[in-house]
Amino acid sequence: MTITSTDWQASAVPLLLALAAVAVLLVDGARGGTARARHLVAGGTTAAAVVAGLVITAVQRHDLLPAFCKTAVEGPAECSLTVEPLTIGLWAVLLSAGLGVVVLSAHGLLDARIAPAEFHFLLLSALCGATVLAAARDLVTMVIALELVSLPSFAMVALRRDRRGSEAALKAFLVSVLSTAVMLFGVSYLYGVTQSLHLTTVATRIPASGDERRVAYAAGLFVLVGFAFKIAAVPFHAWLPDTYDGAPVEVTAFLAVVSKSAGVAGLVVLLTRGLPGLDLRLVVGLLAAVTMTVGNVAALRQTGAVRLLAWSSIGQVGFLLAPLAADDVRVVVAYLAAYVVVTLGAFGVVALVQRHRPGGLLTDYRGMVRTEPGAGASLVLFLLVLAGLPPGLVGLFTKFAALQSVVDAGLGWLAAAMVVNVVIGLAVYLRWVAELFRLPVDEPFSVDIETPAVAVIGTCAGAAVVLSVLPAALFALV
Amino acid sequence: MSGLLIALLAVPFGGAVLLWVLPARLADRLAALMGSVVSGFVLVGSAVMWWRFTHQGGPVGATLAAGELPRTLPGKVNAYAETDVSWLSSLDVRFHVGVDAISLPLILLTALLVFLCCAYSLRIIPRAGRTASLVALLLVIETGVIGTFSALDLVLFFVFFEVVLIPMWLVIDVWGDHHDPAGRRLAANRFVLMTVLGSAVMLVGFLLVHHLAGTFDIEALGNDPVLGGHGLPLAAAACIAGGLAVKMPIWPLHIWLPDAHAKAPTVGSVLLAGVLLKLGSYGLIRVLLPVLPEASLTIAPYLAGFSTIAIVAGSLACLAQTDVKRLIAYSSVGHMGFIGLGIATMSPEGLSGAMFGNIAHGVITGLLFFLAGAIKDRHDTSDLRAIGRALYARLPRIAALLTFASLASLGLPGLAGFWGEMLAMLGAYHPHEALPRATFIVMMAVAGAGTVITAAYFLRLVRNLCQGDPAKYPSTTFAVDLSRIELVTWAPLVVLTVLLGLWPALLLDYWTFL
Repeated sequence: MTITSTDWQASAVPLLLALAAVAVLLVDGARGGTARARHLVAGGTTAAAVVAGLVITAVQRHDLLPAFCKTAVEGPAECSLTVEPLTIGLWAVLLSAGLGVVVLSAHGLLDARIAPAEFHFLLLSALCGATVLAAARDLVTMVIALELVSLPSFAMVALRRDRRGSEAALKAFLVSVLSTAVMLFGVSYLYGVTQSLHLTTVATRIPASGDERRVAYAAGLFVLVGFAFKIAAVPFHAWLPDTYDGAPVEVTAFLAVVSKSAGVAGLVVLLTRGLPGLDLRLVVGLLAAVTMTVGNVAALRQTGAVRLLAWSSIGQVGFLLAPLAADDVRVVVAYLAAYVVVTLGAFGVVALVQRHRPGGLLTDYRGMVRTEPGAGASLVLFLLVLAGLPPGLVGLFTKFAALQSVVDAGLGWLAAAMVVNVVIGLAVYLRWVAELFRLPVDEPFSVDIETPAVAVIGTCAGAAVVLSVLPAALFALV
Repeated sequence: MSGLLIALLAVPFGGAVLLWVLPARLADRLAALMGSVVSGFVLVGSAVMWWRFTHQGGPVGATLAAGELPRTLPGKVNAYAETDVSWLSSLDVRFHVGVDAISLPLILLTALLVFLCCAYSLRIIPRAGRTASLVALLLVIETGVIGTFSALDLVLFFVFFEVVLIPMWLVIDVWGDHHDPAGRRLAANRFVLMTVLGSAVMLVGFLLVHHLAGTFDIEALGNDPVLGGHGLPLAAAACIAGGLAVKMPIWPLHIWLPDAHAKAPTVGSVLLAGVLLKLGSYGLIRVLLPVLPEASLTIAPYLAGFSTIAIVAGSLACLAQTDVKRLIAYSSVGHMGFIGLGIATMSPEGLSGAMFGNIAHGVITGLLFFLAGAIKDRHDTSDLRAIGRALYARLPRIAALLTFASLASLGLPGLAGFWGEMLAMLGAYHPHEALPRATFIVMMAVAGAGTVITAAYFLRLVRNLCQGDPAKYPSTTFAVDLSRIELVTWAPLVVLTVLLGLWPALLLDYWTFL
């Protein structure tokens, strides 16, 4: 394949993150310094790289930058990476999520058994993969980028080097290998049918009818299943609760915001740029309906905070997939952004409580609104955003927009499933909210909250409030 | 842009935020006073708005002075004190608020009841304490309800409709019946989950309206309604009516109501019955009828049918109740049935009756729940058998007020409860010409039978609670008859009950429909 033109600016953000990842490892190789200093250097480098990435994203927001292109025999040029409004919106979400995880893992917050440099190296590698995935416009780049997100993730899950972490990592690893295999199988068939790996060309060459179309449809389903494993859509979700529960909380936060957003980003790119001709709407819609129902119903019975968030995040993925079934990318990205903000905040509070009460039960949060008003009220806000009820207006508006795109697309049955799931989801989150308000408390939870935790929780709460008053910003991402 | 209406929305919310920001101990001491001042301001503000609206210079006053008001389509907005700014342009959502003769009386009712609840909390608060949070939540509820009554954008209506839920859920869950923590949690959850289901279904209806008409603006939709009585318009109307029917509630969607009212603290019950149920009936009048006129005609007979069943079923259920709060709660089902029937007739009489019934029910049932709460506080139970009889001897003033409120509620002519039910039945006698008259006359007859059962259970309540041999039920020495704060907070409701009963034109003059 001869590359005829490329715009190196398009790869600036992934390249920067990759270089920063190497830098973090190199700097850590130098001797000397206290543990605190080494952590600060690693964290600072990572944060600086991510912030720089966000700045570049902001600068490029009106650009259209194709990279690694070759002129096609017919039709438009085939490019492997493209920076366009969709990429920019996804990058903004992914990098903000990454930045949140970095701050959540500051010194004193990150589990003491985890080596900070390795953690940050893996985090940057995964972020690099996630940004490439959002910009990727050919199938091989997508698969490689997805692996680049996944491999560091397992390592991060196992970083604590204890039994629970290893088991959780192994589970995620096996599922991921399987999903990659399934995806590659689908990719090979897609290549066989269309003679191309570039999404633009695949999109134009998918046959309109006949046996070849059926093969292409099956291949599309295989690729879809690969991504469904990644984002833990039901019935490919079984690995998620155990992995979330077994990983250190900071890593769980990473899995819930960065890793999951990367999967959604890849799915959005694939479905809208590569396979719009296959009309997978019905399949995605079904996946959405089943995912949200199973996730929410299972979440109803959880007594642990992390497991509840794990199952409910499956439910949220269902809501994310619903507008995708209606081809409304703008709403998917807006929903993803709102989800990332409040999930980060919620994990910030969970991490805070679990440092002092390792049990991680919902009852540990009893009376927190009174004893820790800042963290408690913020958590209430985050949970209500996830539920989609005032005062969490940003959640209400994203759910509203998702429902609107589904209704406008004429998917009445999916709208009905969403309506029912709004109620089940509310029941899930209200159990937790009720604990936060409950009195009297025998052992009130009251601690000195570390500054970085305050920063994350405060920023997320502030963002949730601002976006609740001015939700328009969220829908301007794409 | 109208500063006053925005202030009515912002001031209670600001008061609530202030109460939460203040240190807990200080806030608890100041809460009821602050709440009374804030809600008092809202009451005065809405009264000023009503005065400006109806008197010379206002939109209605000038016309009324010249003669009768022109007849308008039912529910159509004729907005006053409008504010209209873009909020979320990519989704076509606007912050559009305004009031008219339909919404202003309800805003006044809300302001009055919240003010009375705050004043009541000066002396009497539930055992759970935490007054600051309780009062703050009442103020948030006030913002949500006034917002719903003034919203002129469907999405804004939905948002304000939902604002009320979490605060009311907390009021029931935290300050509810202290004898039964599991029961009050169940009641609170059932209330919030059923209402959210209803409002989500209603939202689907709104989205269908937007899909058909391309706008969420109630004023624009009123001028250019979605026509057609089949297919998507019918689906939209069914979703909207079904969703609002949960809130109202119309049989068989009322199952959340008895527990929620019975387990809530006194102020919670008063606001639930007095104000929150009206969100449902107001929505039917404001959104369903003017926006989907033809589809409304299609579903009106069904709405009327379920409402009529509600009248009878609610009243029959009352006959079997042994708990005074549950009894009053079930009586609300019956009364809201009359309101639903009035709306379903789509006739001028029926709609006026429904709207008058809204106000009257808010005033009378508010008073009834205050009284039930007072009786419950004094006996530490609301079970009729445990309370015993002969309240005339033990608590003469409270018993007299209970009898008065019961008579008002059963629709005694001369008191407020009469006009709404009478007009609703008159409407059923002359329903909209496109509706099957024979069916409605049958329903009128059934509703008439319902009034008889209503009279029966209220008289049974009075007999079982107030009358009886004082020797058998000795008065408890510690129980105080009517305290000063009770007198002050209940007096306005008593006065209004009599005033509206004797002079219904006070409101009816402003409701002129085609």
